[in-house]
This record gives sequence, structure tokens and C-alpha cells, in this order.
Amino acid sequence: MMFTNNPFTALTDFFSPLVMQVYLVLMTLAVVGGTLFDVYHKGSAKFFARRKEKSAAAAQRRLGGGETIALAVETIAEAAVSSEFCKWPRRVSHLLMMYGFFLYLISTIVMVFAYPGAAPIPAILPALWTIGAWMILVGGLWFFFFLRVNVAYDGASPFHLGRADLFIGFLLASVAFALVWHYVQTTYANPTATWILFGIYIFFTTLLFVTVPWSKFAHMFFKPTVAFQRRVEEANGSSDLPSPSTENYIVRS
Amino acid sequence: MPTYTDMTRCDGCGECVDICPSDIMRIDPVYRRSYNIEPNFCWECYSCVKACPQNAIDVRGYADFAPLGHKVRVLREPEKGVISWKIRYRDGRLKEFAFPIRTTPWGSIKGPAEYEKPDLSALNSQLLAHEPAALHIDALPALTAKA
Repeated sequence: MMFTNNPFTALTDFFSPLVMQVYLVLMTLAVVGGTLFDVYHKGSAKFFARRKEKSAAAAQRRLGGGETIALAVETIAEAAVSSEFCKWPRRVSHLLMMYGFFLYLISTIVMVFAYPGAAPIPAILPALWTIGAWMILVGGLWFFFFLRVNVAYDGASPFHLGRADLFIGFLLASVAFALVWHYVQTTYANPTATWILFGIYIFFTTLLFVTVPWSKFAHMFFKPTVAFQRRVEEANGSSDLPSPSTENYIVRS
Repeated sequence: MPTYTDMTRCDGCGECVDICPSDIMRIDPVYRRSYNIEPNFCWECYSCVKACPQNAIDVRGYADFAPLGHKVRVLREPEKGVISWKIRYRDGRLKEFAFPIRTTPWGSIKGPAEYEKPDLSALNSQLLAHEPAALHIDALPALTAKA
């Protein structure tokens, strides 16, 4: 049932589809506004502009438009498979969370905007919503309890919470309660429990998006920017790193 | 010359925390990136600089004696068995050096416990543990008595 039922259909008894659509728009604005505030507050734009200027001044050759586009495509391909991570567990958990989040988010948007009310819905959409939520939960719990660097390397307790955990904490709480709410809604006819769980789900979802200025959400945007700038620096000769060795000294097995 | 971390490059993998002999590379509680908690105690061993897979750690001179923008950057390529250095002098000259660090693949060195338990009779041998196989030769050279 969970994989075929639109979780938002039952809400239309109390909310009009417009209310849900307005909520999604408000959350989108919260993310955009929060990210811009984060960029302004940290001076990230100034930092990247200065770094770009320095790189241009130290460049040994100018890159053509085609070359720059190729570097951008390479950067996107790198980000798509999280290949910047040097350790496979972190990479796999991030991929689970990233693609799970995309599935969960896109299917939510499509269900709320394209199939409002009790409109018949392709079975694939609730299935993608549920699968996406499970992917986030599996990757997120693995990351939270075993892979967080302060837990794995700095001796902190797996239950230690700090500002850096705002994003992962609220994300996990949001999808966990989304799944529980959806399960209770489809399995038991208990409106009170369903509404309480829905309230908790919306509470954590709202916190997830409105805390963007203080959470690590914005790293999804600035990490690829840094990766692109690094590729440009390597290509135009302004990188301060040594050139890769042309010789391989591994001569024995 | 203490270390510092470029937070835009660091992905918080923890390699520097693991390798720092002074135990001063730690994880920032707010941004969850590495940082040097006590620059005065850094002895510039470059362990973290070499270990960082993202090349996010650099070493800077104190402003009172190294104010003119010199720089020493390191690139470790374990798959090639080499560490390369790029040095920018105060007058702007650049020099690059590459140093081989090993000849066997990264991670291929076995710990003592991974070898078979030696026979007690090996105590009477003049060979050290795992010789001559570990030296990649058939036999150690030996003086032979003249007939």
C-alpha cells in the first residue's frame, strides 16, 4: 500500500491543494533566501571572486570557451558520482542521500503540483517517494552513527549533536516521520495518530529548510564551485600544487 | 610554520586527525572540517599535508620572519610511489622536485602478525626475519672459504 498510495491525498480533506503548493513554494524561497544569506554572511562570493582574480593573474595560458565548458561538464560528472570522496563508505552514503533526496523531492513536487486532490496518480510516483525516503534514511543513519568525522576520528559519541548536524539531523527526522506517517495512514484507520505524525513530519521538514543559513545545506552549491575552480587552476597552470609525476616508481608487486 | 586547512577543499575525511603526531589536528565542531587547534605546538612535520587526499592543508610561515610570500606545496601520489614538492621562493622563482618514496604498491607491506609463525630453529639462523624473500633476492651474499 505504501508504494502505491499518494501520501498527500488524505490531506485534501482538511487542506486545499493550494495550501500544500504554497507551502512548497515557501520552503523553496526559504532555501534560496537562506543560501544567499549564507553566501553573504560568510563572504563566500567575495572569496571566490578574489580566488578567481588570483588564478587569472597567475595563469600561464588562457582557457578557451570550449575548454571551460568541458571542465564544467567534468565537474558535474564528478559531483554526480561523488568521486571527490576518497573513502567509499562516505561516498556511498552521500550518493544514497543525494539521489534519495532528489527522488523524494521531485516526486513530492510532482504529486503536489501535477496531481492535486484525489486525481488518479501513476503508481511509480508514490513508489519513488517511498524509495527516496528509504535511501535517505539508510545513507543518513549510516553516516550519522558511523561515518561522521567527529565520531569516527575525533572520539565524539555517536549521539553527540552540534550545529554541523542541523542538516543531517532534521533531514533524518523529516523522512523518518514522513515514512511513519505514511505507514500509519495506509495501515491503520486512526486519524488522531495520523495527524500527530503529520504534524511532527511538517515540523521537522520546516526546520530542515528554514535553518539553511546555519546548516551545511549550502555546501551542496559551493563544493561543486570549488571543484570547478580547482580544475580551471590545474588547466591554466595557476595551481600552486606540484605537477603530477611523470614516472611511476612502483616496480615491485 | 603551523598548518592550516583550506575549508573549501577539506571534505572532513579525518586523515589528518589520524596521522598528526602532535594530536593537534582536530575537527571543527561548527563546520565539521579539520583545523589546527594549537599552532604553537605544530612542528611542521608535514604528515597531515602529505596525508590529505584533497590537498587542503598548507603550512604558512609566521609573518614576522616569512612575510614575503614563499610557499611549499606537496602532492602525494601513492599509486606512483612518489611525493612531489613545489617551492615558490620569495623572489617568485618556482622549483619542483619529485621524490620516490617506495617501490612496492601502497598497502602491500605486511605487518608481523600477517606472516606465518616462524620455526624456533630460525633463532639459530644468521638471517633476519623474512630474509631473503623480503629483500626480493634468492639468497644473501656470503663469503666463501678458500679451498
